[in-house]
Amino acid sequence: MNNPYLPLPMRIERVVIENDARDLKTFDLAFVNDSDRKGFQFLPGQFAFLSIAGVGEAPFGIASAPHEPLIKFTVKRVGVFTTALHELEPGAIIGMRGPWGNFYPLELMTGRDVVIVSGGFSFTTLRATIAHLLLPENRQNFGKITAIYGARSPGELLYKDEIRQWEKSPDLQLVLCVDRLNGADWPKREGLVPNVLKEVAPPAANAIALVCGPPIMIKYTHPVLKDLGFKPDQIFLSLENRMKCGIGKCGHCNIGPKYVCKDGPVFSYSQLLNLPPEY
Amino acid sequence: MKKYLLTRQELSQLLDRLAKETNLYAPVKDKTGATWGKVKNTAEVHLEEVNTREPAKGFIFPRCEVLLRFDQKGNALEPEPPEEQIVFGIRPCDARAIAFLEKFYTIEGKTDPYVKARREKTTFIGLACNRTAPTCFCLALGGSPHDATGMDLLLTDLGDLFLAEPLTAKGEKLIAGYPEAKNEHLTAGAKLRKKAEAEIPLRIDTAKLQEVLPKAFASKIWETLALNCVNCGACTFLCPTCHCFDVTDETVRGSTVRCRVWDSCQFTLYSRHASGHNPRLDPRARYRNRVMDKFYYTVEQAGVISCVGCGRCIIACPANIDIRTTVERLLKEFPEE
Ligand SMILES: Cc1cc2nc3c(=O)[nH]c(=O)nc-3n(C[C@H](O)[C@H](O)[C@H](O)COP(=O)(O)OP(=O)(O)OC[C@H]3O[C@@H](n4cnc5c(N)ncnc54)[C@H](O)[C@@H]3O)c2cc1C
Ligand code: SF4
Ligand code: SF4
Ligand code: FES
Repeated sequence: MNNPYLPLPMRIERVVIENDARDLKTFDLAFVNDSDRKGFQFLPGQFAFLSIAGVGEAPFGIASAPHEPLIKFTVKRVGVFTTALHELEPGAIIGMRGPWGNFYPLELMTGRDVVIVSGGFSFTTLRATIAHLLLPENRQNFGKITAIYGARSPGELLYKDEIRQWEKSPDLQLVLCVDRLNGADWPKREGLVPNVLKEVAPPAANAIALVCGPPIMIKYTHPVLKDLGFKPDQIFLSLENRMKCGIGKCGHCNIGPKYVCKDGPVFSYSQLLNLPPEY
Repeated sequence: MKKYLLTRQELSQLLDRLAKETNLYAPVKDKTGATWGKVKNTAEVHLEEVNTREPAKGFIFPRCEVLLRFDQKGNALEPEPPEEQIVFGIRPCDARAIAFLEKFYTIEGKTDPYVKARREKTTFIGLACNRTAPTCFCLALGGSPHDATGMDLLLTDLGDLFLAEPLTAKGEKLIAGYPEAKNEHLTAGAKLRKKAEAEIPLRIDTAKLQEVLPKAFASKIWETLALNCVNCGACTFLCPTCHCFDVTDETVRGSTVRCRVWDSCQFTLYSRHASGHNPRLDPRARYRNRVMDKFYYTVEQAGVISCVGCGRCIIACPANIDIRTTVERLLKEFPEE
C-alpha cells in the first residue's frame, strides 16, 4: 500500500545549535534505507513532516537543496513536538514523510533576477533555494541574485558558516540586517526587513521576488515591493498554515477553497489577492 | 438498472444470513432514537426513525482510527487491513455523503488509503425514505428521498414487498436469484418517491449560490448569521460530509499508536499557528468557513456541494442555527448588498 501517512526512518547525523537563545537547531538527517533516498525527490520550497513515535509529528520546510546528501531541517522549539526533537542527539532515529507541497517557481525564475526576502527562522527553504541557485551548473540559468535576510539580533542569524561563504560569493548580493542592536558589536545594517528592502531597492524589471517570513513581515514587505515596481505575479510567498496531513485531506490548512499543503505552500501574490485573507 | 423483488420475509432471511456470515451493521434503538450498531439478527434492526442520530460516515472514516502502530524501536507499522462489513439501512442523504467522501479523499492523485480500503470492504444497502422529517432538505440540493447515489443496493419499501435496485457488482451479488420487478411494482415505487419528494417544499438555487458565496465572503451578514454560535462543533461532528481530522499519538496499554480523530473547523485552536497567529480567530469567521466549505469550496475542490440536506446540524445546534436559513438569507441579500 502506498501510504502517505507512513514515515520513513531517518537517522540524525548532526545537530547544530543555530542561535544564542539556543531554541533553533538544525538537524541533518540521513536515510536509514537506501531505497528511500532514491524515492525522495524534492525542490526548494517543499516541506516534510518529522515524526517521533509517541510524541507526534509536525511540518517543517526542507532547508537543504536537492543536491546536498543530507536532508536538513531547522526547527524552533515552541511546543510539544519541537521540544522532544530538540532533546534528541546524533544517532537517534526519527521518521519523515513527504516531500509535500509545491516549490518556488524555478522555471519562471529562469533567465531572470531573483530577489530573496526573509525574516526570522523562515529563512529555511530560502537557504535551500540559495544553495540550489548557486550551484555552478544552475548559475548561468539565473540573473542577479539579491538576498535580504533579517533576524532579531546578530546572535539569531541562522547558518553562520554558510553566510560567511555566501558573503564572499560574487554571484550573490547578501544583505544582512538585525531588528535592533542593543549595543551589540555589528558592522552591518540595523533595521527591519521591509525598510532594508526599500534601501537596497533591487530593480523589479525582469525579476522574481521570493518572500518568506511571519505573516506580519509578509504584510509589511508587500507594499515595499509594490513601490519598487514588482507586480503581484512577480512576487511569491511561502505560507505556514496549521497542518495535520500534508495531502489536502484533514482540512486544517485551507485558505478559501485552496489548501496550503497541496496548492502551496508557495503562492504568487496575485493568487493570494483572489483568495480570502486566511493566513 | 434492473430492479428486483424481495418479500419482507426474504429480506429478514437475507439479513439474518449476512449477520452470520459477516459484520452486519444497521440502525438500532437507543434512548433517544436510532444509532448505528452491529446486529446479530433482523429483530435488532430499528427502522422507525427517519434517520440515525449519527451519520454513516464512520463506516469509512471512523471517529477514531489507528493510522500506524510503533514497535519497541519506534518503527512505524501499518495496522491490519479493515474487515468486510455490510451496512444496512443507510438513507439516501448519508449515501450521497459517502460518495462525496470517497471522491474527496481520492482526488488529485493523493489518495487516503484508509478511506479507500474501508469503502472497498463495505457494502451499503440503502433504504429509500417514504417519510421525511421537517429538517430534511435533500431535494433542495439535488438529492431525493429515493436517490441511489453512493449505494451498492437500494431498497424501497412497498409494504409486503421490497423493490431492490443494485447499483454496483456488490449489490448485484446480494440480489442474485430474486425475481425481477414488474411494471406495477416500479409504478408503486415511483409513486412513493413523488409523495416523499412533495414533503420537502424547500428549493435552493444552487447555481446562483456559486456566484453569491464568493461575493458574500467579506460581508457583515456573517455577524448576524453566526451571532448565537457557541462553537461547540456539534454540527460538524454530526455532519455526514465533514472530513476534517486531527492526528495524535497515544500510548494504550504500553503500545504506542498514531490515531486520527474527527476535528472541527468550529474550534478556536483548529487553525491556530504554533506562533500564536490565528487566521480564523473569531466565531463568525469559523461559521463562515463551514458554510463556504459545504456550498462553495468543495465545489471548487471536488465538483460537488457537500451539504446533502440531512438536517442533522439543524437538530443538534444548541443555538438554533439553521443552515437553510443561512443559505436562504445569503441568496436573498446578494448581489444586491
Ligand atoms: C509548511 C510549514 C513549514 C514549516 N517550517 C518550519 C521550519 O522550517 N522550522 C520551524 O521551526 N517550524 C516550521 N513550521 C512550524 C512548525 O510546524 C510548528 O512550529 C510546529 O508544528 C510546532 O509543533 P509543536 O508540537 O512543537 O508545537 P505545539 O505543541 O503544537 O504548540 C505550539 C504552540 O501552541 C501552543 N499550544 C499547543 N496546543 C495548545 C492548546 N491546546 N491550547 C493553547 N495553546 C496551545 C503551545 O503552547 C505552543 O506555544 C512550519 C510549518 C508549516 C506549516
Ligand atoms: S451541513 Fe447539516 S444538513 Fe448539510 S449535510 Fe451537514 S449536517 Fe446535514
Ligand atoms: S452546532 Fe450550532 S452552536 Fe455548535 S458550532 Fe455548530 S452552528 Fe455553532
Ligand atoms: S494539512 Fe491537511 S489539508 Fe492541508
